[in-house]
Amino acid sequence: MEEKPSKVLPESSDHPGSGKANDIRDLWTTATLSESQLNLPLSKVCENFDEEGICVDRTQWYTHHGGWEDDEEDEGNSYPEELDEQTLLEQEPHQGSSTEPRVGEKGDDSNIKAEKPSSMSSVEGSVHAAHLAYWAEQHNRLPLPLKELMKNEALEILNKALRSYRSGIGKEHFLTKELQRYIDGIKKRQDTGQNIRN
Amino acid sequence: MKLKEGSFLWYLYLDKAYCLLSVRNVKVLLEYFHLLDVHGKNTLNDVLFYHFLHHVTDLKKRQIEIVFDMLDWNAMGEIGFEQFYVLVCILLAHENHLEKQFMYRHSRLIFDLLDVDGEQRIRQATFQMYRFLFNIDTQELKELFHDFDVSRINYKEFKLYTIVSVDKFQKKQKAERERQNLSSSKLHIK
Repeated sequence: MEEKPSKVLPESSDHPGSGKANDIRDLWTTATLSESQLNLPLSKVCENFDEEGICVDRTQWYTHHGGWEDDEEDEGNSYPEELDEQTLLEQEPHQGSSTEPRVGEKGDDSNIKAEKPSSMSSVEGSVHAAHLAYWAEQHNRLPLPLKELMKNEALEILNKALRSYRSGIGKEHFLTKELQRYIDGIKKRQDTGQNIRN
Repeated sequence: MKLKEGSFLWYLYLDKAYCLLSVRNVKVLLEYFHLLDVHGKNTLNDVLFYHFLHHVTDLKKRQIEIVFDMLDWNAMGEIGFEQFYVLVCILLAHENHLEKQFMYRHSRLIFDLLDVDGEQRIRQATFQMYRFLFNIDTQELKELFHDFDVSRINYKEFKLYTIVSVDKFQKKQKAERERQNLSSSKLHIK
């Protein structure tokens, strides 16, 4: 059973720009999260994460204000050359890495442990490490709803292309057969995935 | 030209400073491209390209053909990921009202795309043909060629045009914001 793309659609917003960005954030960052599984708020879990070891401005990504956090900067300085080159270069790793957790960072775990009794700290440390691993995986992957949307959309496009191939070059042409096999392959993989999940 | 709401590309976004996709978005886009690459050649032929663009935008057949011809700069009848990426950036810039910034930031690339004859000059007719991609007003186009008093513009003139365009756009945005602030302050006073 295929998921329809409409299931992943966010609620419509009156302000496409800001609402869209907010919805995109929700999909990309929280699509596969179950809030009940998290002991800490998102901002705290991701506070220290930075793949390149740069202190990350967590509000840039995890805020739930409408639109990008740097919209306010852009409104005042949206002419590209007015922005200092240095500022742009500094922003770039932040924008690129703000969603990347610091993987395998042991320093934070040891700091946490030092503050609490050892029995509590070992439990919390493992929970925190699990969160770290979870976030590392999430931020390197496409969220599942978007992945499904991508596949479903590709299938729709390819099915239409198949009709064109059939009418243009005929059913028996090797390109048509190749496309048909390809589409069947994608559908099979989707069905297998569905069965595993069920 | 509009992206279909809820389509996969609709969920991507450009970096506002550089008007490019983030690495993560590029990775995702590559995955999407490979899904469409049916024949395993790392390219999309004209049929696949047409159905892709027809599915995700409201472009007409003729416009899609124009876009394909523009991107097929090797005249191979296929487009690779590099061209696909450029197209997606153009679509997203249009969708997010960043056309002017995009043209300013990537003026050389766009000039080369529009220079279909390879003469290092763009005619007014060519500009007219592609203006739907960059949301260029017909009047604006006429003024551009009138101001430079030429029938074809070279890269320097094009670059100047992008600078002036961005500047005008900034001023327009600023004026709109001031108008909004004025109307909201009037409401508060009442």
